[in-house]
Amino acid sequence: MFQSVNNLISLIYLTANKRQTIVAMLGVTFGISMYIFMTGFMTGVNDAQTDLAFSTIAHIKVYNDGPVDESNIVQRVYPSAVVHLRHSKVIKYTEGIKNASIITDFIKHQPEVSKYTTQVNINVFFKNAGNKVNGFISGVEVDEENNLFSIAKYMASGNWSDLRQQTDGMVIGADLAKSLGVKVDDNIFVLTADGVSKNYKVIGIFKTNIVGIDKSKAYINIGAARQLLAVNPGYVTDIQINVQDFKKTKVLANRLKSIVKYKVETWQNANQQLVAASFLRDIIAIAVSLTILLVAGFGIYNILNMTINQKIKEIAILKAMGFSGKDVMSIFLTLAVVIGIFGGVVGMGLGYTISKLVNKIPFEVAGLHTLPMAYNVKEYILAFSFGLITTFIAGYLPARKASAIDPVNIIRG
Amino acid sequence: MGKEIVLKAGNISKSFYEPEPFDVLKGISFEVKKGEFLAMMGKSGSGKSTLLYVLSTMDTDYTGDLTIANIPLAKKTQNELAAFRNEHIGFVFQFHYLLPEFTVLQNVMLPALKLKKKSIEEIEEDAYKNLNLLGLKDQALKKSNKLSGGQQQRVAIARAMINNPTIIMGDEPTGNLDSKNAQIVFDIFRELSGERGQTIIAVTHDDDFAKHCDNIIELSDGMIL
Repeated sequence: MFQSVNNLISLIYLTANKRQTIVAMLGVTFGISMYIFMTGFMTGVNDAQTDLAFSTIAHIKVYNDGPVDESNIVQRVYPSAVVHLRHSKVIKYTEGIKNASIITDFIKHQPEVSKYTTQVNINVFFKNAGNKVNGFISGVEVDEENNLFSIAKYMASGNWSDLRQQTDGMVIGADLAKSLGVKVDDNIFVLTADGVSKNYKVIGIFKTNIVGIDKSKAYINIGAARQLLAVNPGYVTDIQINVQDFKKTKVLANRLKSIVKYKVETWQNANQQLVAASFLRDIIAIAVSLTILLVAGFGIYNILNMTINQKIKEIAILKAMGFSGKDVMSIFLTLAVVIGIFGGVVGMGLGYTISKLVNKIPFEVAGLHTLPMAYNVKEYILAFSFGLITTFIAGYLPARKASAIDPVNIIRG
Repeated sequence: MGKEIVLKAGNISKSFYEPEPFDVLKGISFEVKKGEFLAMMGKSGSGKSTLLYVLSTMDTDYTGDLTIANIPLAKKTQNELAAFRNEHIGFVFQFHYLLPEFTVLQNVMLPALKLKKKSIEEIEEDAYKNLNLLGLKDQALKKSNKLSGGQQQRVAIARAMINNPTIIMGDEPTGNLDSKNAQIVFDIFRELSGERGQTIIAVTHDDDFAKHCDNIIELSDGMIL
């Protein structure tokens, strides 16, 4: 008790004028909750957009790019020679990826890789009676594919996992189903470029909301796809790889390029517009967070500064009675920190509540059901520490000023 | 008895530079003996209050020597002076300057809680004793801003007394009170000085007040007449 005269004084100041204390705390609370809500919302939107962007493309894709045109062998030996060559033909090249299991084995052991899957992609015509639509079939490893692209989430009807057993089953895009006029359990006729045709049964319909995909793509089991092409069970056309941090594909891609003779394509290479969008979103997110921090910081600073400046005369009285500059500091820093902690805790609660509420607002666009929201513990801690530091500074500066001047200067004006 | 010197001011000068350079105190020297009730008088602007604040150690912006209770104070830091004030000086302002959010009892106890020489129970007992002496015992648990002006001034005196200071200083302690309350406050000072041998220095421009003091210092234009 003897040590705590200063704390006693702080406590009396906090409790005597409750309205003022609450107003000061609310200043902190609003700043922190606004920051938490806004960053949560922005991060949520960014994550949702990233999710949408990567719902159909992987971070890195390995595929057979087709043969390089090597028909002009004369010119290769005599670069200056004039060569006249017409109707050259590429006689034979391998389609798909040879020895895919060696490559996937290598991929599996790369530390950056989080998930990967193999596919057999085939360009086909879909036919339902007279109705003909061109598109492509993706023969997939059912579970791995879902791991990577979460297709099960986009199923409009039917069950994604049914593909696992049903080798004549097919999951098709919603727009494709519409233009063919088929529903679940209807039959669909497929014709490959090599002239092979086969009947499949529609067991599910997906809707990714990316029109280009929804109107041209269908999934079958990878085994069924190999059967359709009449190839060996190791046959693969594409390897899709996801890495831990989708922004860091370059190192792994370069490593793969050095050992794989097929095309290694990162999403950045394939989709420059996504790179730009992602980058711009990041810039906006940082700009908005900084702005909120700045505005909230000023709000907290002002309100606390005012609270303490109102007490400047009482500081002088305390000093006249023999309280030292250090005592004055300790009294008002305690005041500030208590306001900071309470305001901060309530602010985190309020921020979380607002986030939860906004997260419940319906938003039925592009596969979303409600407005997106992220709940990042890091942001909560950041907001809380920021509020605490700001209140500390806002308490420290006027208290330091008051503790340094002769009390007579305040008392006598 | 009681003839030892408790306060010694040597050649104290102070100037204001704003708005214009002005020498408010010009080399003031005097001594105060223990138990003395000293009144400082002078016209408005004569420097009497300024001198009192210098003596109280609340104003450090002066030149000259100041010794209270045999401790030289001119070179001490603000924090050292605060500790010194706490123990040796009780101050009564013209306006009571109580902390409005604190109870009467808390106001009176604060300087002693800061001094930490006694337990809380003892301090509380002392505070009640002082309040009783000033006829305020039944007001002890009220917020100080709920009291009348005269009562508040008496609480301020009780607060000034709590650490048994070497000197109680008052800056026109009755200046803001009606004549009845002024008389009460004056009587209290008189009693403290007479019965307890408390040294008191009070600035006043009330002749009646001054008439009853042991000693009068009259200031004019920053000098003792």
